[in-house]
Amino acid sequence: MVVTLISGILKRRRFAGALIVVSGLPRSGTSMMMKMLEAGGLEIVTDGERTADEDNPKGYYELERIKELDKGGDKSWLGVYRGKVVKVISFLLRELPDDFSYKVIFMRREMTEVLASQKKMEDRRGEDSQTEDEKMADLYKNHLWRVNYQLKNSKNFDFIEVPYGEVLEQPGPWARRVAEFIGGDLDVEKMAAVADPKLYRNRKRA
Amino acid sequence: MFGPKVKLSKELFDRVRKYADIAGYSSVDEFVSHALEKELEFIGEADSEEEIRKKLQGLGYLS
Repeated sequence: MVVTLISGILKRRRFAGALIVVSGLPRSGTSMMMKMLEAGGLEIVTDGERTADEDNPKGYYELERIKELDKGGDKSWLGVYRGKVVKVISFLLRELPDDFSYKVIFMRREMTEVLASQKKMEDRRGEDSQTEDEKMADLYKNHLWRVNYQLKNSKNFDFIEVPYGEVLEQPGPWARRVAEFIGGDLDVEKMAAVADPKLYRNRKRA
Repeated sequence: MFGPKVKLSKELFDRVRKYADIAGYSSVDEFVSHALEKELEFIGEADSEEEIRKKLQGLGYLS
């Protein structure tokens, strides 16, 4: 009991002023979660470079500079965003510097749905994927295992996994869980109102 | 016998022990060695990082 209490206090102290990171594979509901957090009252970091389109009708909520994290160089600029929300795809999580702490909301979605959604996006962008779905699913599963290991074992990461499909089915309870994870005074009702089932377009058929 | 050691969480070790048994491996060591060899083969063959990177660049999520 005392140990739990102390570890809770230490954890709260470690993650005070953490960057809030929304992550996951592309097309797993990260933009929806960004919008939920914005509605809840948090400050979102986006440069608006990538504007809304058919794939993301409500916008991407991205920061172009984040996409260059794997190119090395100084990353201290991230410190400016402590307490704010940034979107970092799962592939780039390992590039986040150890100098800061991170509270990560990690979106999970059925792999078949992710791949179907990515395929549509590639078609619209005129991209021709060289990798078959089955192989891509294996690569992503391996990748997600490594990401999960990092999240569980890095001291400067605290995380919650959020299943996209369930958020659309039960937005209220999930909005509450996410708000509790982040802490502070978020507007849970407004967060829940963002989850839009109409966006669930590549749903896995039973 | 006294070679390099690898640390696993208790939860993972218990699962590994259970499945090593079910799959008929003679020991946890044998199962882990086999699994790692298969994984290394997969990684080497697929050059997985690069394939994921290309995919994400095509989708506009990486520069």
